[in-house]
Amino acid sequence: MDDARESPTDKGGETGESDETVAAPGDPGATDTDGIPKETDGDADVDLKEAAVEEGKLKSKKLKIDTKEKNEKQQKVDEDEIQKMQILVSSFSEEQLNRYEMYHCSAFPKAAIKRLIQSITGTSVSQNVVTAMSGISKVFVREVVEAALDVCEKWGEMPPLQPKHMREAVRRLKPKGQIPNLKQTKKSSSSRPKSRKAYY
Amino acid sequence: MADEEEDPTFEEENEEIGGCEEGGQGKRKRLFSKELRCMMYGFGDDQNPYTESVDILEDLVIDFITEMTHKVMSIGRQGRVQVEDIVFLIRKDPRKFARVKDLLTMNKELKRARKAFDEANYGS
Repeated sequence: MDDARESPTDKGGETGESDETVAAPGDPGATDTDGIPKETDGDADVDLKEAAVEEGKLKSKKLKIDTKEKNEKQQKVDEDEIQKMQILVSSFSEEQLNRYEMYHCSAFPKAAIKRLIQSITGTSVSQNVVTAMSGISKVFVREVVEAALDVCEKWGEMPPLQPKHMREAVRRLKPKGQIPNLKQTKKSSSSRPKSRKAYY
Repeated sequence: MADEEEDPTFEEENEEIGGCEEGGQGKRKRLFSKELRCMMYGFGDDQNPYTESVDILEDLVIDFITEMTHKVMSIGRQGRVQVEDIVFLIRKDPRKFARVKDLLTMNKELKRARKAFDEANYGS
């Protein structure tokens, strides 16, 4: 059945559309140009309802098939990616392997994070929260370091990263809302007339 | 650098984040120095990153966690920090959102596997 694919974009032709939607599989010729079967009113209602149910079933079947295909496609993509990663990692130099290992294994100490959060909330927090917060913080570090490396490269310099790279990276990420701005909320904006320069 | 002199916003941040002499946020003890070094190396920095850079990052992370915690406390169940609230706050940031979802899923699966393993042991 093609209705699920074509109907969303073709809402103009009402009669044409209702023709397709109402035409259930066992009922090819029972509709006239209005798309409503030529029957008495009461029966027409029941038929419409049945037709709607049929249409619903068809659409959900379609959705299932679509999702299944999508899942299979996604699985294939995942397998491809895994294979590619394996090939890549097998060709790493020792230094690259080292770095890759650090990339995976480095993590914030759960105890310290838990202590930090609890010192702010004053109550205890669950393990899940600590896990989530540690994970997000690592992503945050990654964003800052990557931005700093971009800055470093742009300025024609080499790692190790220097504080000026870090600060420039922070400055670039701030408009995107990715940097916390605790200090700004504490200070009132009246102190420095030019403090909003970054927005101009 | 010329940047630091021309840009007052920059100066503000310089005083507050970098803290040339006083070493960042007052006399706070460094919580994550070792781990942050490994992380920076993993993400592309040199094998021995500068201590000042590590300090800047640590202050940023602590600020980040502090702000997140405050925000989370003000939504959902007040005064409590719950995972659902974190996920809600993070929803706009695709990378962080995906990461949290992955972590929580993995955690759940690990717990399930561990439980099944324990029960199997208990039974026999």
